[in-house]
Amino acid sequence: MTTLAFILLIIAVIVGYAINRVAARSIREGGNKLHSLTTYHGLFSALLILVPVLTFILLWLVLQGSVMDRMVMNGLQDGVLDGLDSGSTQLVLAEIKSISRGQIFGTPEDWKIAAADQYVAIQGRSAWLLVIAVALMALGLMAFARSRVSAQFRARQGVEGIVTGLMIFCSTVAIFTTIGIVVSLTYETFRFFDAVPVTEFLFGTNWEPQIPLRADQIAAEGAFGWLPVFLGTLVITFIALIVAVPVGLFSAIYLNEFAPKKLRSVIKPMLEILAGVPTIVYGFFAILVVAPALRSLGQSIGLDVAPNTALAAGSVMGIMLIPFISSFADDALSAVPYTLREGALGLGATRAEMMTNVLFPAALPGIVGGVLLAVSRAIGETMIVVMAAGLMAKMTINPLDSVTTVTVQIVTLLIGDTSFDNPKTLAAFTLGMMLFLVTLLINIFALRIVRKYREAYD
Amino acid sequence: MNDMRKIERDVKMTDTKITARNVNVHYGDTHAIKDVNVDIADKTVTAFIGPSGCGKSTFLRCLNRMNDTIDICRVTGKIELDGQDINDKSIDPVQLRAQVGMVFQKPNPFPKSIYDNIAYGPRIHGLAKSKTDLDEIVERALRRGAIWNEVKDRLDKPGTGLSGGQQQRLCIARAVATEPEILLMDEPCSALDPIATAQVEELIDELRRDYSVVIVTHSMQQAARVSQKTAFFHLGNLVEFNDTDQIFTNPQDSRTESYITGKIG
Repeated sequence: MTTLAFILLIIAVIVGYAINRVAARSIREGGNKLHSLTTYHGLFSALLILVPVLTFILLWLVLQGSVMDRMVMNGLQDGVLDGLDSGSTQLVLAEIKSISRGQIFGTPEDWKIAAADQYVAIQGRSAWLLVIAVALMALGLMAFARSRVSAQFRARQGVEGIVTGLMIFCSTVAIFTTIGIVVSLTYETFRFFDAVPVTEFLFGTNWEPQIPLRADQIAAEGAFGWLPVFLGTLVITFIALIVAVPVGLFSAIYLNEFAPKKLRSVIKPMLEILAGVPTIVYGFFAILVVAPALRSLGQSIGLDVAPNTALAAGSVMGIMLIPFISSFADDALSAVPYTLREGALGLGATRAEMMTNVLFPAALPGIVGGVLLAVSRAIGETMIVVMAAGLMAKMTINPLDSVTTVTVQIVTLLIGDTSFDNPKTLAAFTLGMMLFLVTLLINIFALRIVRKYREAYD
Repeated sequence: MNDMRKIERDVKMTDTKITARNVNVHYGDTHAIKDVNVDIADKTVTAFIGPSGCGKSTFLRCLNRMNDTIDICRVTGKIELDGQDINDKSIDPVQLRAQVGMVFQKPNPFPKSIYDNIAYGPRIHGLAKSKTDLDEIVERALRRGAIWNEVKDRLDKPGTGLSGGQQQRLCIARAVATEPEILLMDEPCSALDPIATAQVEELIDELRRDYSVVIVTHSMQQAARVSQKTAFFHLGNLVEFNDTDQIFTNPQDSRTESYITGKIG
């Protein structure tokens, strides 16, 4: 039935387009000068039908489930739901629905079978209602659009208005989604802080979230100080950037200014392929190659290196980030006008002087943009760290020790046996919130730095 | 033509600064400059004129080896500066370019402060011994660029914030600051309005006292106004090279005559 509604919509759009276009053309052939091209008259009708009806269908599909549920539950006999909490009520509804699909377990009570029959009936009615509503709406809009066709009617402005509206909608979808994510995270964060004091979370140096889910489980008391976890993220991010920023920048500078064209045309695509390697592959590399190599190297010079180290994870993550930084920096350097290069060379600057004094400052915003992206990736990176850095939260900045990061802890908190009102689970959302805030702060900070030091070239 | 000239012609043609012999330039397969021979005198303004694509800019860029920065460009022949072959292996192009300054078609101030723009050259060549020394160099260059009075109160403001004509004079001052012996100008006024052009032309005439100036221009009036010697290029050949008033009043070659009377180009 939904398919039928969509087919009706498509037909209405096409017919509306044709009717308006033909009407407009007959006005023109009658000797009047049209304000807009006939195509715009057609498009005006088509868009006027498409946008509201499509929105209506989608809203209907989203909302019909909960409305039908409510109708069925309200239609039950008085008293059968007495004494049930919300969870059990949900179970009753689920049972009614599965009966309505013909999946009957055991012998359900008569009132449940009756409710299931009613559910089926409502479903059928709802589908027909949708089709009828769509047909009526489409006809109404088509008639309205047709009534607007005249020589003076500004169909082009109408179409442009609708399309502008669509573009505004598209450009704000991502923003509203982000706001939605932040709101839901905030909600869970406050629930977490009901169970665990804010100060303990922010300033505690002990992270042991494995608390019992049920009364009979044996587990730790639980401690939710995020500092060791955050410190782990900082250490690994720092190591990754120490690897990625110099290597990425130097490779960008070489490719942009000094590399022969042929070499550049080989190296640049290869670097970009690096950016497409799945992080889990880097994780394998870290745990199978880098970590053992570090360990044996450490032993040979008498250092005690843990099997999982921040250094292994961080350095491999750094390799992963090289292409981001180098390709951003390369693009930024290429965007600096050629006249500036010639200006510097014409004054007798060497290419190195030109690069450091002129091109680099001019390209700074783009370069910082690449580094920022790399920082965000490093903070958010999970897979390499899970595999190569470990799960134990330790308050250490020793790169040869095993550390854990915020993202890894979020993963471990949310997999396995969880319940959504437990501080252990809620802690994951709180960590996510903190991660969001930290990256936001870094971005704001970096933008201010760039604004202060950039050398705008036009 | 004569009435447009404001420069006296009684220049004493002292020594020859640059000698070019049999210079050929190839861009890939294109033969851009064909056997050009020219002598450029010191303390003189030499103008290169000719239709678009005739190779005048390319030849200009040979004189400070800016063509080295273009991969596919190949220069042969002999160019001597004060008797020294500039394409010789012993010559560092970087030092050559400090000696032979260049001003480009589009004003290209660095996105730095006005002061740093001028100080750039002296800094990379270590011309200033102290901060006060550098201040003096900057002021002298800006005065010679005829822009000191306009910018002296805002030396810390970005050079990109100036108007087009001011930017070009800033670029000339920047080139002058490294104390070059020769100043190459590649259509320095083509992006400027008539008033700014007049200011730059006046400046070029001033500069003639200290430097040998070579200017590429599209405008024959400009060549007539500012130069003492004029070279006419056509399709990569140097067609005619003579005193400016000779070229404009009594051209020897029929192609030159057609060009200056507006029949070709």
